[in-house]
Amino acid sequence: MNHEALATELRDLRQQVSGITDTALAASDGLLIAADTANSIEPEGLAAMAAASVGLARRTSVATARGRFRRTVTYGAHGCAAYYAVGDTALMVVLGDEGMDVDRLNAVSGPIVERIGSILTDSAGKPATAKGA
Amino acid sequence: MAGLPAVRVSAGHDLLSGALAACARERYSGRVLVVGTPGGVLHLRDGLVVAAESPGAPGPEALLLRSGRIDAGVWDAVLRESGGARPPWAMLVARGALGAAQLRVMCLMAMRDAVFAMTVGQVDGVGHDPGGEPSAPVEPGELPARLLQDAARKIRALAALPYPVVPWRERPRPAGGVAVLGVLRREIVRHADGRRTARDLAFLVGRGVYPVTVEIARMLADGVLAQDVAPAPIPVRAAAYELRPREAPDVGERTPDRRDGLPRRQPGAGAPGWKGFFRLRHGGPAQHSRQPRDT
Repeated sequence: MNHEALATELRDLRQQVSGITDTALAASDGLLIAADTANSIEPEGLAAMAAASVGLARRTSVATARGRFRRTVTYGAHGCAAYYAVGDTALMVVLGDEGMDVDRLNAVSGPIVERIGSILTDSAGKPATAKGA
Repeated sequence: MAGLPAVRVSAGHDLLSGALAACARERYSGRVLVVGTPGGVLHLRDGLVVAAESPGAPGPEALLLRSGRIDAGVWDAVLRESGGARPPWAMLVARGALGAAQLRVMCLMAMRDAVFAMTVGQVDGVGHDPGGEPSAPVEPGELPARLLQDAARKIRALAALPYPVVPWRERPRPAGGVAVLGVLRREIVRHADGRRTARDLAFLVGRGVYPVTVEIARMLADGVLAQDVAPAPIPVRAAAYELRPREAPDVGERTPDRRDGLPRRQPGAGAPGWKGFFRLRHGGPAQHSRQPRDT
């Protein structure tokens, strides 16, 4: 896995869309892959909750014949949490404040999710390295 | 600061200025969409700007709620009463939670702040949409040229500071020194973590992006804040296992009446953990939810 490429994608996303506060990547089973999060966020817990949320949304999408799952967004009084499927094996979490432009996020995140999927796929099945980001 | 682009009135300002001048001449009513980073929307009536919104600047709702000037519970209550379609400003005023003059000043400040955020950012294009009503219009509205002059003046003032800051660029952190701080500076120091920009901090503390940006510029110059040259590294875990799709639990045998993959719920049945939840709520030992009742 190209760690630096993954980190660059997350960093670029936060710089491209105003209002993004945190981002993370997780495997579909909830294990954390990468986190660009503030100290106030516990990334392991975020990854686990995101996987549960995406798992439920994915099943709902299939069971209600809505087609292939793309994303789910949770809105709160002070912002939102958007979860994007990265293929069938991983997911991306984006947290934003109430000013975040979700339409722009959706537009920008499409190609980023594809690139992240390619980076993760390249590493699938290969032995892990100890390289840091 | 070396190597960073200067804070300046950009070509985008000229693009926006030309488009809004045409709107004023034609007494245009509708929305002007500003495409760019952060971009935004201006609402015009008869050629005058009555509202402006941008992801780059807090709107009236964020200013009032984040600063604590309106209680979140009161806000939620009036939202419910109003049906939630649009922010219920008139109801807040009628209840006395907010003065009419206070609301007007807040909306005017938010409008000017949004125009500042749009013009200090990148403007890639301008579009028109005749529909859309602002949630909190400032009547009778401002001349577009006056709004843009105000924004340009602010950008020039920012550029003249010893440490010019762009609202979406610098991500300061406390420098660690001891200094006597005012309310806004204390708030900024409390939340500046090397990840947040001036725009992010403005949303967080419920203040305009321009005053927060100016204050951060002064604090960087005073040494109260510091700006790291390189961004903090993002830790990436090495995948020690093969990524595979999440497997749905096999509940087919236990729920024979499920159809199309949806498990059927049974009255009184709950997900694992519900009993524990009720035990916590009622503060007593776990009780079976279907105890026979004494008659």
